[in-house]
Amino acid sequence: MSNDFSSLVHWILFLPLVAAAFSALFLRRAGAFAAWFSTATAFTIAGLSLQLLLQSTGDVTWHVELAKLGEISLGFGYLIDANARLMLFVVSFVAAWIHLFSVGYMQDDAARGRFFAGLSIFMFSILGIVVADNLLMTFIFWELVGFSSYMLIAHYFDKDFAAAASKKAFITNRIGDLGFILGIALCLHLYGTLDFVALKAAAGPAVPVAVGALLMCGFLGKSAQFPLHVWLTDAMAGPTPVSALIHAATMVAAGVYFMARVSFLLAPEVLSWMAISGAGMAALAGLCALAQTDIKKSLAYSTLAHLGIMGCALGLGHPELAVLHMAMHAFFKATLFLGAGSVIHGCHHEQDMLKMGGLLKKMPLTAATFIAATLSNCAVPFFAGWYSKDAIIEAAWHGHHHAVFAFLAIAALATCLYSGRMIRLVFLGEANSEAAEHAHESPWTMTLPITVLGLVFAVGAGFAAHYLIPASSLQVVDAALTSLHFSFTAPSTIIGLLALVFGFGGALKFYGTTRGADALQVVSPRAYALLERRWMDGLYRWWIDGPQRRIAEFIAFLDLLLINGVAVRWIAGGATAALGHLTGRTFHRGQTRGYALWIVIGSLLLAWYLLAR
Amino acid sequence: MDTFSTLNASLLVTAIFLPILIGLILLAGRILPSSWVSGLAFLGFALPAAVVLWFLLPASGPLDAILRLRVDGPWLFKLGLNGVSTPLFAMTAVVGLAAGLKALIQEVEGRATYLGLILFMFGGTLAVFATDNIIGFYFFHEFALIPTFILTLFWGGEGRRSAAMQMAIYLTVGAMLSLGGILIAMDAAALSWDDATFGALFQGLLAAKDPLPAATGALTLFGLGTLASLFPFHSWAAPGYSAAPTPVSMLHAGALKKFGLYGIVMVAAASMQIGQGTLGQWFFWCALANLLIVGFICIAQRDLKQLLSWSSVAHMGPIFLGLWVGTAKGEAAGIDAAIFLMVAHGLSCAALFLLANAVRTRTGTYRFEELGGLAARTPVLAAFFVAATMASIGLPGFGNFWGEVGVFLSLRAEPLWVQALVASTIVVSAIYALRAVAAVFFGPASKHIEERAVHAPFGDLGFTERLAAGLLLAASLTIGFIPSLVTQCTNADARGIAAAAVRSATPKAPAAPVIPAATPKATTPAPSAR
Repeated sequence: MSNDFSSLVHWILFLPLVAAAFSALFLRRAGAFAAWFSTATAFTIAGLSLQLLLQSTGDVTWHVELAKLGEISLGFGYLIDANARLMLFVVSFVAAWIHLFSVGYMQDDAARGRFFAGLSIFMFSILGIVVADNLLMTFIFWELVGFSSYMLIAHYFDKDFAAAASKKAFITNRIGDLGFILGIALCLHLYGTLDFVALKAAAGPAVPVAVGALLMCGFLGKSAQFPLHVWLTDAMAGPTPVSALIHAATMVAAGVYFMARVSFLLAPEVLSWMAISGAGMAALAGLCALAQTDIKKSLAYSTLAHLGIMGCALGLGHPELAVLHMAMHAFFKATLFLGAGSVIHGCHHEQDMLKMGGLLKKMPLTAATFIAATLSNCAVPFFAGWYSKDAIIEAAWHGHHHAVFAFLAIAALATCLYSGRMIRLVFLGEANSEAAEHAHESPWTMTLPITVLGLVFAVGAGFAAHYLIPASSLQVVDAALTSLHFSFTAPSTIIGLLALVFGFGGALKFYGTTRGADALQVVSPRAYALLERRWMDGLYRWWIDGPQRRIAEFIAFLDLLLINGVAVRWIAGGATAALGHLTGRTFHRGQTRGYALWIVIGSLLLAWYLLAR
Repeated sequence: MDTFSTLNASLLVTAIFLPILIGLILLAGRILPSSWVSGLAFLGFALPAAVVLWFLLPASGPLDAILRLRVDGPWLFKLGLNGVSTPLFAMTAVVGLAAGLKALIQEVEGRATYLGLILFMFGGTLAVFATDNIIGFYFFHEFALIPTFILTLFWGGEGRRSAAMQMAIYLTVGAMLSLGGILIAMDAAALSWDDATFGALFQGLLAAKDPLPAATGALTLFGLGTLASLFPFHSWAAPGYSAAPTPVSMLHAGALKKFGLYGIVMVAAASMQIGQGTLGQWFFWCALANLLIVGFICIAQRDLKQLLSWSSVAHMGPIFLGLWVGTAKGEAAGIDAAIFLMVAHGLSCAALFLLANAVRTRTGTYRFEELGGLAARTPVLAAFFVAATMASIGLPGFGNFWGEVGVFLSLRAEPLWVQALVASTIVVSAIYALRAVAAVFFGPASKHIEERAVHAPFGDLGFTERLAAGLLLAASLTIGFIPSLVTQCTNADARGIAAAAVRSATPKAPAAPVIPAATPKATTPAPSAR
């Protein structure tokens, strides 16, 4: 009976593709219509996804073979299990509200048709990853997601930074995809199938490390994990709704979702690496967020940190917790980004937090939702983020992963620090610029989405956590959640509460000490610079400008010199000498007669051969 | 006998010879009024595509008699399509139409002659993929190449003389070497010109008493490889494409160059077992160098058309590797994927040459340092260019993706380092392709473009250019979304060729695999057109 839902999935998946094609072809100059058209599509998809979530039970499956290459079957199909159902709902629901927000945010943009077509093609791509039933199809939509991200980051293409950022995002993602495709080839080689269900049956308990390590490369690229994290902060060059949807809530989380989906292919070594590097990333990125004055970049570091936490949960062997945190994070981080968008819109496109301040009174609705989402971000008890994040910290404690636990504790503290700083700089105190002075609340198309996502979901989703958790992981989560619900003595809660009091409270106080400048930069310029410096970016830049360029130029030179110059000229020269004076002249003249002669010689040789046989 | 296939066979003949006939009229009839010239030329460019749409596309399902049609005549006129050539024929028809549309809107001296020569080139290329006789195969290749040289020499751009000369030498030598190899093989198989079909050569060699001389395969492989710009015999390609007029680059790099690859599949792969032994190893290393070395050369380019020309060489790397794994390991997926990539590359590279020229006609330059920020002035051109670039770097949805991924997957049993080097092309190609997009279209407008906009104002992509580029991209999207359109043609033949390529050399048992592409023609008298 579950298979009856496949036609519903067809609609969910292909509706955005049709919308994107229609917008791109016919609505290029009809921006307002394109905006509402795309938004209506997004809400329709959200409705259909909700229907699927509520009505379907068990796995929804459907499969066709697109083509065969040799013995390799290129399949296309759906596998909608508990995780997929949750992800489908989160993606389509968050996306619908972000579409609505964009209607207001992009009102004055000349290229709205292109923007909304881009959002729709993104929806198609991400939904494809969610429903895919095999590795190749995942890879297809994985690449498409990379493309839509490229296109949307490059929205303001006449700015150099946007052009550079889009290129960087695409190429960095492709480096990850290089590993991913090798992983797919290895799976096909070892197990003879790319189908998730068949793979699970074929894989068995002892999977070679290489399989997981290679597949993980895709995750490192898409979810911006070390060492491929460098593109995410630059990606903030795109319009803010894009940052909210793609670079915070859904696309970057797709890596986590995918790893959860193939968790049976991850060897223990891979898992350990993910746990340690994820937790390290969470701690480090959280601290780096303190050294950003651009509100969106600060939030981008926060996203990196949360993705690290999700990766860590995967590594700890709790893919369901990772997916749960992905869902909760999607709600509150989307709210934070949209709130930031509302603030930026209200302050006439000012993004520097040091130039904001005192917006609580001028933009009350935005402020209220932003603060609610921030508290969720800081994992304040009973807010959505608390359920998932504390469960992960708890899982590290119970698993006796002390290093991971320590990193996560630092991450929790860092989260509270940058959150407090953000609230203090943006909403409290006095206005620090002309723009902030004249700030105004945003129109309803923008405040309604943040209210729904912020107040209802960033706060409320936690209470529904029990229903959102896939049944398969209830056992694990229950232990953590039950202990949290009824006792505040669990280690994760103690850590969390300490971080909250000292971190959040401290930041509020500390960042009030200076005005129009960053308190940390004033107190310790060295520490600030250390956090602001982007080490990996420097390394990549060195490689691209240095060795890569020199190698390319050197090879091009060698080709010209050795193959085109020496070898060809030498051989040709030798042939010339042998063939005599006549042909030699034609070489140098390079005239029509030259090759006419060659054709004649060829014909003569042919005739000679034929007559001689 | 069978009216349907008789009709189709005569359509096939018309599709090939009408462009040539119209080309002749244009060459002869210089007094024709210019509207007649355009009308006639358009007919010649459009008819083959119409035929493809009319009778190739509807023939879905497994390959049947409709596709395996043949026209019997003297050796030159033994025409027929098989599983490998059908998609290539269809691709050529589309590329030719797009190139023709571009040629029709160009303002050149001696327009009737120009169009006539391009029609010759087009008809010859179509015939290359539709001929069943090996000598006819070579004949039509030369038939298409000679106008290519002339067009480059007289209508080309910068450096056209030396480029045409270099191209003429390389391609004639390449063709002669490979023909030499094939003639030796024909000798061994005791075939006359009239009987020398692809299938008959294979059957003849199976039945032959003495094994082929070792050099035969090498002559044929590297001769044909030269024509398809196999490393290190690629030096002619980039200057050749760069100097040629745009419709010629489109037809040559997109379609005619596939002659060499098609020849490798049809003649060298199974009959000469080029993937085996030392020759196979040489083949592998040359193919890998094609992909890696030329990929890096692309990164060093500073000129849009040079970059496209070089990348067109680099993209041959995966095709050669697919053919290598097919002939060395009997992996049919490699051959399937290589053919897929030949078709898809033809479409995407023609689109890129077309659009790059649209940049050039507007800005007067191909140099990256003078370009920049064009997207603000020509958004439609930018959108098309980004789409064509994405197609060429294997974005899913476009045909190239199936070809590239198919080649990666067909190499799955090779050592990891081989796979990693081959798959690195997805990063390297993204680096140079996106750099070009950013340099030409993104960022603030360059000084040169600002000035140009004042002194020689230019508009966005015109209708005909949109139509031509749209055709190519639509075709690529079609096979990207419905890959079975190509694979249902190639599957059976690829399997047969791969199996034959790795057959054990010693026992000449009757159980030895055969080339399905050719067997129906070789064994059963097919319906005649007459």
